[in-house]
Amino acid sequence: MAATRSSEFGDLVQIKKQLISITAQCKERGLVHSVKWASELAFSLDPLPLNEIPPAPELTEEDARDLDALCLAKSYFDLKEYDRAAYFLRGCRSQKAYFLYMYSRYLSGEKKKDDETVDSLGPLEKGQVRNEALRELRVELSKKHSAGELDGFALYLYGVVLRKLDLLKEAVEIFVAATHALPLHWGSWLELCNLITNIEMLKSLSLPECWVRDFFMAHMFTELQMIKEALQKYQSLMEAGFAKSTYIISQIAVAYHNIRDIDQALYLFNELREQDPFRIENMDTFSNLLYVRSMKPELSYLAHNLVEIDKYRVETCCVIGNYYSLRSQHEKAALYFQRALKLNPRCLGAWTLMGHEYMEMKNTSAAIQAYRHAIEVNKRDYRAWYGLGQTYEILKMPFYSLYYYRKAHQLRPNDSRMLVALGECYEKLSQQVEAKKCYWRAYSVGDVERMALLKLAKLHEQLNEFDDAAQCYIIYIQDIFSCGEQLEHAEVSTALRYLGQYYFKNKLYDEASLCAQRCCDYNDVSSSSAAHSQLRDANLSPFGKMLILSPKQVM
Amino acid sequence: MASVHESLYFNPMMTNGVVHANIFGIKDWVTPYKIAVLALLHEMSTTKPMALLDRRRLNKLILPLQQGPDLTLEQFLKIVEECCLRMVNAVKHRLFLMADGELQDMEHFFTILPNAFSDSEAFKTSVVGLFMRQMLLAYNKLSFSQVYKLYKSLQQYCHRVQPELSALPTEDMELTSNEDPSAEHIDKDELDTASLHQSELRSDESQGPLSQKQAEYFLARQAYLLKNDENKAMSPAKLQDELNNILKFNPDFAEAHYLSYLNSIRVQDIYISTHSLLHYFDRLILSGGEGKSNGDEGYGRSLRYAVLNLATLHCRFGHYQQADLALQEAIRIAQEANDHVCLQHCLSWLYTLEQMKGSDSVVLTEDSVKIAAHFCLPYLASLGIQSLVQQGAKQGMPANKLLDALRGTDIMHWKQSLSELIEISLAQTTSIWRMYGKSTMARQQAQLLLNMNSLEPVNFSVQQNNTEAFAVALCHLAELHAEQGLYAVVSDIMKHLKQQFPPHTQHAKLWMLCDLKIQFEKAMNDGKYHLAEPHVTAISALNSTEGLYRKAQLLKALNQTTEASQILQQLQQQCEKSKDIEMTIRVMLASAELHWDSSGFATALPLLLQALALSRQHNLQSLTSETLLHLAFTQLMLGIPEQALVLVQDVLESVLAHGSLIDKGRALLLAARCQMALAGAAAQEHRLTALEQAVHTLDEAAVYFSQLDCKERMRDIHYLQARLHHTLGNISQRNKCSMLFRLLDQELPSSGMTVVSHL
Repeated sequence: MAATRSSEFGDLVQIKKQLISITAQCKERGLVHSVKWASELAFSLDPLPLNEIPPAPELTEEDARDLDALCLAKSYFDLKEYDRAAYFLRGCRSQKAYFLYMYSRYLSGEKKKDDETVDSLGPLEKGQVRNEALRELRVELSKKHSAGELDGFALYLYGVVLRKLDLLKEAVEIFVAATHALPLHWGSWLELCNLITNIEMLKSLSLPECWVRDFFMAHMFTELQMIKEALQKYQSLMEAGFAKSTYIISQIAVAYHNIRDIDQALYLFNELREQDPFRIENMDTFSNLLYVRSMKPELSYLAHNLVEIDKYRVETCCVIGNYYSLRSQHEKAALYFQRALKLNPRCLGAWTLMGHEYMEMKNTSAAIQAYRHAIEVNKRDYRAWYGLGQTYEILKMPFYSLYYYRKAHQLRPNDSRMLVALGECYEKLSQQVEAKKCYWRAYSVGDVERMALLKLAKLHEQLNEFDDAAQCYIIYIQDIFSCGEQLEHAEVSTALRYLGQYYFKNKLYDEASLCAQRCCDYNDVSSSSAAHSQLRDANLSPFGKMLILSPKQVM
Repeated sequence: MASVHESLYFNPMMTNGVVHANIFGIKDWVTPYKIAVLALLHEMSTTKPMALLDRRRLNKLILPLQQGPDLTLEQFLKIVEECCLRMVNAVKHRLFLMADGELQDMEHFFTILPNAFSDSEAFKTSVVGLFMRQMLLAYNKLSFSQVYKLYKSLQQYCHRVQPELSALPTEDMELTSNEDPSAEHIDKDELDTASLHQSELRSDESQGPLSQKQAEYFLARQAYLLKNDENKAMSPAKLQDELNNILKFNPDFAEAHYLSYLNSIRVQDIYISTHSLLHYFDRLILSGGEGKSNGDEGYGRSLRYAVLNLATLHCRFGHYQQADLALQEAIRIAQEANDHVCLQHCLSWLYTLEQMKGSDSVVLTEDSVKIAAHFCLPYLASLGIQSLVQQGAKQGMPANKLLDALRGTDIMHWKQSLSELIEISLAQTTSIWRMYGKSTMARQQAQLLLNMNSLEPVNFSVQQNNTEAFAVALCHLAELHAEQGLYAVVSDIMKHLKQQFPPHTQHAKLWMLCDLKIQFEKAMNDGKYHLAEPHVTAISALNSTEGLYRKAQLLKALNQTTEASQILQQLQQQCEKSKDIEMTIRVMLASAELHWDSSGFATALPLLLQALALSRQHNLQSLTSETLLHLAFTQLMLGIPEQALVLVQDVLESVLAHGSLIDKGRALLLAARCQMALAGAAAQEHRLTALEQAVHTLDEAAVYFSQLDCKERMRDIHYLQARLHHTLGNISQRNKCSMLFRLLDQELPSSGMTVVSHL
């Protein structure tokens, strides 16, 4: 026991050392996001005693020669004067300087590209603006690559260049090579993650055996919507000693959000906020959760808090949008989602959310446009397809919306909401057979809103299939009571009333009376009064009819 | 990290979260190619003395140059060179003056540009004047950095061509010319790596973006070609590539989605066509909603037509239930919006759908016509009338009423220049005449359609000739020629049809069925039943009823009477259900022929009389004469040749006038046999003349059969002739005929049938 703990601890010390050194390396090269990731992780581990802290790496002859130029260039680089940085690095021979040289050229190209987008010559040209430096960089890097002169960082840059040139297959190869050369650099893993589209592709890659790989796999599972596996991975990482890492906590919270385990996710986000109160990342997801639970005060607090931290962040805008939406101020909500989109037009969630807001405002054409944009950014966004379907349903075009719901269903085959929506459309088109199939399927895949059975039962009722209807109501009632929580729209009284009538018709008076009594527990006036009268019928029959008749006879 | 820079990205096309395709309202902008065109125009207006021919050629060039996609300088210069050699040098000189000089040279060019046009023949509102002013406007709106960028791209544009000009076609020069000037320092020794990417660099340079104007022109042209002459349009795959290219640069260009819908319908791709159609209408709804002037009306309108289009899509793919649902939806929302025009469109689709489903839709159609007339929608009204005529013809309405109705609508078509409907009307008249068995009239109407000059303006040098009407008329012509045994002509017509309506297109089934029928008939006439068999399967795939009928005919010819009669009974039931009169009569005739085979001549009579009544009632003349021939044959077999001959002689005139070769031959053969039978009973002195008459009739029949190369019938005729000559005592003639008979008999497999037992 002790031995394992010490070895684990030793392992952690080793990891911590690695993290510290990679942080330094990335920092020298201006790879800020990887620095952030590594230092966050390092922070979650216990501090090292003085004698354990790794010394700065030895400087080579070349490094020493390039030191001044590197210092100067790095300062320009930090000031975003990329061309200037590249100019002073052009003659340097060391690996570090070479990377910074190439990276500055790449970033300069990117920056110019973004600037040019504003003054492109015409609207149709806007898609054509591209980073002019990419081609040269690719030629140079590929030459060096074939000569085997690239280190892990340069390989990463080469991969990024290839990806930007849409040479995805080559890019994957290079990123895999980069992870082998420098497994600790999180940037390469993250880029790789964006390029992997399915689990088969993931399995076919040969990745280095390193503890970072576990992080990568967990991240990948989340991306591929394999939430169970992802949670397992994160759990084992937490057990291995990363329990305090805010990164892991946020990832787990997002995973719970994806499988709609709202309580768990909320709990984790609250914990995250406690540990890292000024964090802005992932807070839009948190606000979504608060929105779903209609927790107005919490959402309001979060929004105000984030505005104080930084009001020009996409996440902040989304949180404020959600806040206004919850307060039914949809114009303002839409405004904030628009602001989020101005900050980052490729922000998928904001397009969809804006569509929802326009829907609330009954501005269907704007909603359609917003959803279409969301689909343009990501064809696999089922919420946008679903939103389009809803929009057309509101416009009373159920047949038209079928296509969109079908698309959404195709993307989320096991989501009951799409199936219920499909069923409703079919019902409106009087396609009862299809509607029944949809509702039943929705129930079988685990109905989130618990509406499918009720609808199915009502459908059976309409079609005079009394036994099937009763059966559905029974399962529905069992379902409602077993899940324990109170649902606003629950129509237990309807179900009970129907069951009462059904038993009454079938002359099962005991069951009927039971149902009617239970029905009286609900304070729905019409249904309870109906139930009362029925109860009287049930109790008094077969004599009841005579008694009811008697007043007339008296008159 | 990429995400760092994404925050820098700001989209200027967006206001209030709404992306506008056109912020400046400019549909066109200045590109180096446009500058080259401007330079050409400038030179043209400044060089006064110019050969008239050169000027005319150049003038003809202007429009395509303005509307077409951007060309490279090489291509541009080459085109100009073909027109006027002197002009090339002037244009080249002017361009290189700008490119090799400084930015101010370009600015100078744009300042002197309007001067050249002010006193020339190019008016401000002419095509050239508008283009020039648009370019100037676009140029003046450019910001500082944009002007510089334009100048840089002009330099690149001009210098890309230089290696060829300086005649240095070495590979490395071409390579570096692709790279930016700043990339010159790349060592020449790394050619191997760089050359790998050359093709890919090339390819994305050739696919430059189109300006909105150019894209619109491209779409209009392709859509027009798709509608009128698909063969001249781009191939589906290439067109889709182009569309994807346009959509990549401007995803808001909704019309491209619509063309993509048309294109994928062309290759029967339901998935992409649905997707594109819905996408188009999603986009259209936006643009409709934007314009405040038409407000909600425009928006709701496009919604209604979106559903209606979806219905037509499903109709096109044969998903009748889906189409029905969509149509109901369209009708509902059109009713809610009180949009009578849309409702009217829905109604006309509704009866079309009912017709396609095979149910009776006369009442619906009549309603549609009435309402369309009420709302002054001539197109829909006469479309409805045509559809009514079609149904009426099938149900045996009096011919004069039908033709009157058609003539009435024709007058309106000509008044309103509805050329599409004129074509349909002509094709319909052809079909009606054909159905009535008046082949001459049918032929005349078909020729009229084919020789008619379309009323529609001829765009892009393409005249519309790929409508269903043309296909129908050509098919009728092919069948009519086949009936006359002119198979060479038939194959020519078929070749044309195949070319005009490639197998994947909508109307291809028409000629396929027609082709198969002709081949089947030919094989049957030649007695090559093994050849006919595969055609039966193919026909069944296209039209199951027709296929069954042909199968019965084949089985009958192969003496498999039991199976044949089963199929005929089945067919009879089908036809009664679908009220297909022509087929019913044909089935009756075929059943009667089956009765003959079993010598049940008396039992065949009621069937034939029923068929006669039906065909007379429906004015089906060819079928009437066919039935009468059958009746005559039955009477002959029952031993009343006098009656039979009277019948044959009655009908002979119309058969000879309108019938097919085989019918003519058969009628004459029957007449001859009646004459023979009568001669046997006649007195001695009349007998010889009667027999000679019969020989004469047989000779005539032989002419028709030999034209068709119908050997079995020829064998029968030779046999009969030999017998007659024997009776008449013409020994040499007899010997000749019997020799011919023997030759044919050896050649043909001996059929079980004897001469007597079939018509």
